[in-house]
Amino acid sequence: MLHTLNSKMKTAIGGALVGAFALLAPATQASADADLTGKKVIFVPITMGISLTEGWARRMREHAETSGYTVDIRDAAFNTGAMAELLAKAISDKPDVIVVHNPTVQLLARQIKQAEAEGIKVLQLNLQSNQPSSAFVGANWDRIGREIAEDIVKECGEGSGKSGKVAIIPGQLTAADSVMMNAAAMKVFEGHKIEVVSNQASDWEPEKARQITATVLQQHPDLCAIFGHWDVHTMGAGNAVKDAGLADNVMVYATGGGDDVACKAVEDKVLDRVWSYDADGQGRDAGTMIDLLLQGAVTADGSMLSVESPMKIIKAGDSYDASLCWKM
Amino acid sequence: MADWKTMINRGGPNTKLLEYVVMAVTVALVVVFSLTVDGFATLGNAGVILSNSASLVILSCGMAVVIISRGLDLSLIAVMVAGATTFSVFINADYPASMAFLVTLAAMALVGLANAWLIAYVEIPAMLATLASAMLVTGLFRFTILRGEFMLLLSKSSPAVVFLSGNIMPGLSTPVALMLVTLAATMLLLRAMSAGRTIYAMGDNFQAARLSGLPVRTTTIVVYVFAAFTALCAGLVSSAASGAVDFRTVTNGTLLFEVILVVVLGGIPLRGGRGSVRNIIVGVALIAVLRNGMTLMNFTSQMQDLLKGLVLIIAIVADNYLNPRDTETDTVGDL
Repeated sequence: MLHTLNSKMKTAIGGALVGAFALLAPATQASADADLTGKKVIFVPITMGISLTEGWARRMREHAETSGYTVDIRDAAFNTGAMAELLAKAISDKPDVIVVHNPTVQLLARQIKQAEAEGIKVLQLNLQSNQPSSAFVGANWDRIGREIAEDIVKECGEGSGKSGKVAIIPGQLTAADSVMMNAAAMKVFEGHKIEVVSNQASDWEPEKARQITATVLQQHPDLCAIFGHWDVHTMGAGNAVKDAGLADNVMVYATGGGDDVACKAVEDKVLDRVWSYDADGQGRDAGTMIDLLLQGAVTADGSMLSVESPMKIIKAGDSYDASLCWKM
Repeated sequence: MADWKTMINRGGPNTKLLEYVVMAVTVALVVVFSLTVDGFATLGNAGVILSNSASLVILSCGMAVVIISRGLDLSLIAVMVAGATTFSVFINADYPASMAFLVTLAAMALVGLANAWLIAYVEIPAMLATLASAMLVTGLFRFTILRGEFMLLLSKSSPAVVFLSGNIMPGLSTPVALMLVTLAATMLLLRAMSAGRTIYAMGDNFQAARLSGLPVRTTTIVVYVFAAFTALCAGLVSSAASGAVDFRTVTNGTLLFEVILVVVLGGIPLRGGRGSVRNIIVGVALIAVLRNGMTLMNFTSQMQDLLKGLVLIIAIVADNYLNPRDTETDTVGDL
């Protein structure tokens, strides 16, 4: 069963620790220089070469340079088999902290447990596993799914004069974010006469999302909204909407790390609304969390330290603000 | 048992039987989907089926020519993405589209040449040579041109992108026009050029073709360079439509699987020597109708893969049964 962080207290404790650290940064870092020198951190992302992970890595490296520890990156390049091997190798290297970016809720659960049992602290970044560990920094997918669904209800539900038809385009149905966002959105849609006419995964590929959307638009030309689970593949869907001449009728929603490409897509009317979890800010939070873990931070009851990423909502129209996006 | 097959084929090659089976299944699917799936039997949906199939048809033309010559090009999708990447990098840097196209064309011709050289002159089996070149091309282009990035996003406002994803004339989109041009070029190569006759001869009996003095090495160059050009064309069409060049198209492998599926389903045997543009159209028609119907019925992508895999297995078993190997065609290293 999916591990969820029910206790707001844990989040509050984690947030307070990170906040306190940020406020006391000069003094703490001065003393941390000596303490953290020579410590070793290994980051195992799903892939490098995308703004999300490159943005995280940049901020984590900045923290490492300031505090004198090392961050070693083991790139799985979208290969889940290689990822499990890289994590096994990382555990055998006995670092102080391992940062993992889980492709699914199950894949790395056993290895995360093994690492923790061997005294290696595991920070899960943005995508959670079933297996709890020392810390989590990332988006609250349940909240994003719920908020986007509520916005869709407002735009397409009863009283809006629209059809209430929605197409969902997840990345993969078993990915942690898709599982949580779908569950949260469906709960909202149930009571508001929203009809989900399509729920097909794009495998995170823009071209697949485009083909699915072009086909669905033919069957449902009165489609009201598209809810894409990642801004990059949703751009393919947005292009299909634009090519069909329906950009003014179909709202295209997405979530993502919120780099300048997302803002460009909103400017080009490829995406209408993006719930950004601000990958740049997440990288900074991850760096701070690593600093804390290396200094031995734990919660009073030994449960998972957790920091929820604040959301930035990028909307087309009069309220559009390009400064909400970050640049690599 | 041989009697009914002979009766249906009326003395023609057995491959036609598979072609007829696939055509019958396609027609049956069209009828079933038209009656049961809301929105299938519309003119608009026919247009979507056509435009969504454009890049698959273009790639299948390249793969079909290679397979008819008794080869295999596993680097086709890598070349497609590498070509689209090179072109897009120039376009994003505001270079003229004509210059970007010529440079990309030259680069892809080099990749095709390298494949052909490995196969015809170094005499490495086509499957191994193109598998290795697929990895090399993916790594090289991703790290030298994209500097490690997995994806390149294209602006839909760029004139080249607007041209490639728009309409060339009312009612005819550029992707569909390029698809028709590629089909015509393939037909021309196979039917009207001497290289085409050599391609069939190579597929039919490579050793006999070589011993009788046919230019098998230079024809291999023509085959793999042609395949590289079709891959580039497909790359331009699909990246302009989706606004992105994505290297995961190479790494997840499903598109390569679909291209081989189309060629085999259309009735072109993997051991070569037979097949034409008609076979490509028959193969694509089944896959395109199946994909469109499954999407309209809201099948998950896993279920779609499962059904397509099942169709491929049935086609290969049928191919094996209808075209049994004999001592002449069953050679060492053959697929």
